[in-house]
Amino acid sequence: MKRILKEPLLHFLLLGAALFIVNGLMQNPGPRSDAGEIVVTMGQVENIAATFAKTWQRPPTPEELAGLVRSHVREEVYYREAMAMGLDKDDTVIRRRLRQKMEFISEDIAAQAEPSDTELNAYMEAHADAYRIEPRFTFRQVYLNPEKHAENLDRDTMQLLAQLNQAGAEADASQLGDSLMVEHQFSVASTSEIGSQFGEQFATKLSELTPGQWQGPIKSGYGVHLVWISERTEGYLPALAEVRNAVRRDWENARRLEANDKFYQELLKRYTVTIEGLEPVEKEKKPVGKPTK
Amino acid sequence: MKKTIRTIIALAIVSLAMPVFAADPPVGDNDAGVVNPEALAKITPNKAPYSPYAGRNYPTRPLFGDTHLHTSYSFDAGTAGCRLGPVDALRFAKGEEIVSSTGQRVKLSRPLDFMLVADHSDGFSLFPRLLDGDPAFMADPTLRKWADMMNGGQGMEALIEIVTAQTNGTLPEVMVEDGFNPQRPGYRSAWHAEIQASEDANEPGRFTALLGYEWTSNWGGDAAGNLHRIVIFRGNADSARQADPMTTAKPWGSPDPRDLWKWMAAYEEKTHDRVLAIAHNGNLSNGRMFPIIESFTGKKIDRAYAENRARWEPLVEITQIKGTGEAHPALSPNDEFADYEIWDEGNLDISEAKKPEMLEFEYARSALKNGLKLEVELGVNPYKFGLIGATDSHTALASAEESNFFGKTSVAEPSAERWEHDFAYNPKLNLRIKNWETSAAGYAAVWATENTRAAIFDAMERRETYATTGPRMVVRFFGGFDFEAADANSRIPAKVGYTKGVPMGGDLTAAPKGKSISFLVAALKDPIGANLDRVQVIKGWLDKDGKTQERVYDVAVSDDRQIDADGRCKTPVGNTVDVPNATWTNTIGAGEMITVWTDPDFDPALRSFYYVRVIEIPTPRWTAYDSKYFGITMPKEVPMIIQERAYTSPIWYTP
Repeated sequence: MKRILKEPLLHFLLLGAALFIVNGLMQNPGPRSDAGEIVVTMGQVENIAATFAKTWQRPPTPEELAGLVRSHVREEVYYREAMAMGLDKDDTVIRRRLRQKMEFISEDIAAQAEPSDTELNAYMEAHADAYRIEPRFTFRQVYLNPEKHAENLDRDTMQLLAQLNQAGAEADASQLGDSLMVEHQFSVASTSEIGSQFGEQFATKLSELTPGQWQGPIKSGYGVHLVWISERTEGYLPALAEVRNAVRRDWENARRLEANDKFYQELLKRYTVTIEGLEPVEKEKKPVGKPTK
Repeated sequence: MKKTIRTIIALAIVSLAMPVFAADPPVGDNDAGVVNPEALAKITPNKAPYSPYAGRNYPTRPLFGDTHLHTSYSFDAGTAGCRLGPVDALRFAKGEEIVSSTGQRVKLSRPLDFMLVADHSDGFSLFPRLLDGDPAFMADPTLRKWADMMNGGQGMEALIEIVTAQTNGTLPEVMVEDGFNPQRPGYRSAWHAEIQASEDANEPGRFTALLGYEWTSNWGGDAAGNLHRIVIFRGNADSARQADPMTTAKPWGSPDPRDLWKWMAAYEEKTHDRVLAIAHNGNLSNGRMFPIIESFTGKKIDRAYAENRARWEPLVEITQIKGTGEAHPALSPNDEFADYEIWDEGNLDISEAKKPEMLEFEYARSALKNGLKLEVELGVNPYKFGLIGATDSHTALASAEESNFFGKTSVAEPSAERWEHDFAYNPKLNLRIKNWETSAAGYAAVWATENTRAAIFDAMERRETYATTGPRMVVRFFGGFDFEAADANSRIPAKVGYTKGVPMGGDLTAAPKGKSISFLVAALKDPIGANLDRVQVIKGWLDKDGKTQERVYDVAVSDDRQIDADGRCKTPVGNTVDVPNATWTNTIGAGEMITVWTDPDFDPALRSFYYVRVIEIPTPRWTAYDSKYFGITMPKEVPMIIQERAYTSPIWYTP
């Protein structure tokens, strides 16, 4: 039962029925649909005056109000005659507008329900990659410039590596190797931050190294590096509380698309669609909501 | 060479175990007496502080981003096919793969650090409203026609009619009101939606979504000028929401920059936030962007103009899709690198042809020079601006890479035909700009202390920025009077730079007697990009007779080439580009260049400015990638090779 209560279609039908009733109540005292009779009610006149006041920050003068009401009547006459002549048919703009109004209704329904933590957690787990917190590294790097070492690059690198490992953790390696305009030492830097400065392959390679010893060489866009990782924070999927806003936003978006589609599919059931010269239209594919993180 | 390196390594290893000064000879006599090395060693421990940030308060890496991107909320973008909004634009900037308006999957090579979705305040969000058939619009026959054209796939034709109508002031009234009066409900709710998109995408420390918009004044008398400015707020959504964006149509807005500055002042007063503006595409203003005498009012700019311009406009965007705004070959005949992605047919809509006398008042270098002259006359330099690049892309995609270029508008997204389309055509004047002339550029690099709205804004205000045509090279530039050759060997040039001088965008004054001005210049190639050909310093000055002068110096070049006595290297770096395959190799050029350069012609009595231009080795232009991918041959006039570059903000010397 609970499930059914949450169904967007049910919401739509209920809301639609409610709208129908309310509309009926509101509309009826207004311009009656009886052919040949137009009644502008007090309520409508007040509404016209209020709209004017909102735009111009003052109430309309009696002349202005009379003009607005005349214009309203003119619109109503044209509207009815145009509908009678079927001018609304085959009009892309009107059709699109009506389609949009229908979509607004189904979107409104989707927006009604406040998601529970269980729902959000489930959504987050299903789209874990979008919310995962990146691994971070605290490390030092010593750079060797291939242009300077030419064919001795490998030998020089291995020599330096051996010397560094002999010196160990205490070694101040900031003056070793060749100079490069990036920092020698990085503190809790994320893989994307490291990637933007050394290139992606360097950042990827870093995750494969063991902390607590000089290792390498690993390649960057500039040459080769020897690296000492002193600390590595693994990437993780955060608790919902940390990213609730983002998950909620994405969940809502996915839900909106889903509701639109479900709604449409239900409506589509009432029709048999034949397109001459083409195969019968299949059920449209579900749009895939993509998380926005 | 090998031996030297081994010795250096050996010495360095040895030094690990010893106090730092132990091996040095005693320091010579001085006022403080003889320094005891052992005592000194205790004060200056050999080991670096545990915290790597201790002693660092300067920015350690540049942040790259785009300050000028349009989405479907911009009327011209929408009419040309853009169906992506600010949310999509920000997702793309953060490195996500998305689907472009023409249904193509697209992703950046790596995320940007910051992004400003800067839609035109004029006609803001009109496009989505027009396309969706906003009832208020459909009552108007012209809007109705445009909506039909767009729904019928004639977006570009609709755009041309709209731009013409906007320029001629014949836009339908309802649209004018709804698109130009930011107090109208439709306008305001869309503006708040755009702010919200940035608010949701903003992740301080990781990715900054700046807040702002573009003020698109085409003021200019008989023909459209181009006085466009990007407006950027420092604060958060709370203050930006209090702003009704400045438009250009009266009575709600104005096309006069003076009124924009008034609006900016009023915003600051109301919100206690801060705001700045960035001018762009002077190259399409036909002499109106950096005036001495405003051609269309006939008035000479005055002190108030200069003060306000200097106060509100710290930066100029000099490279983007619509060409380069740094320098023009006719203005700089001795600068062989000035002929780069130049657009000089006419103004923005080529309704007016370019005349040679206009150039001086629309390119950044000449404006910087005229600024020195105006400072003498008015007491304030109106054109004391720093430099950035941006895309001005109208696709919601900030793509500035040659191999990943998605064009100016959505109709110019990758296709076999896009290169030969007209970008603009005026049969009356027989002026034409072809789509292949659009430039896959550029980005802004900002030396901000952290990746937040406030820190990026502050760096922009102090002009600590540079422009790139797309690649993400690192460029440092410091000026002072005490730099010496050895500083170029420093492991951390920034530390020396900030200690002994001022960074790009800064000011120097009162040169010590007998000392010349000197600069520490360093450039590092994009980690996934091309090597560097050369680093240049461009100097502008006001000579003894009050005439403006300029000169280009090569200060570092690759491959052991010679810099002649006149400060120029006449040997080209070479070319490894394989055009048919759209590839190149980093077998020429250098990865990193650091040097200290002292101005050999420095005169402490003269006003001057210096900025750096870094030139990459030749690489394939986007047209080469198109030719290869689509298997097409373009005519000879279409360039296939470029040398991408970076331009820093100047450092000024004022006696």
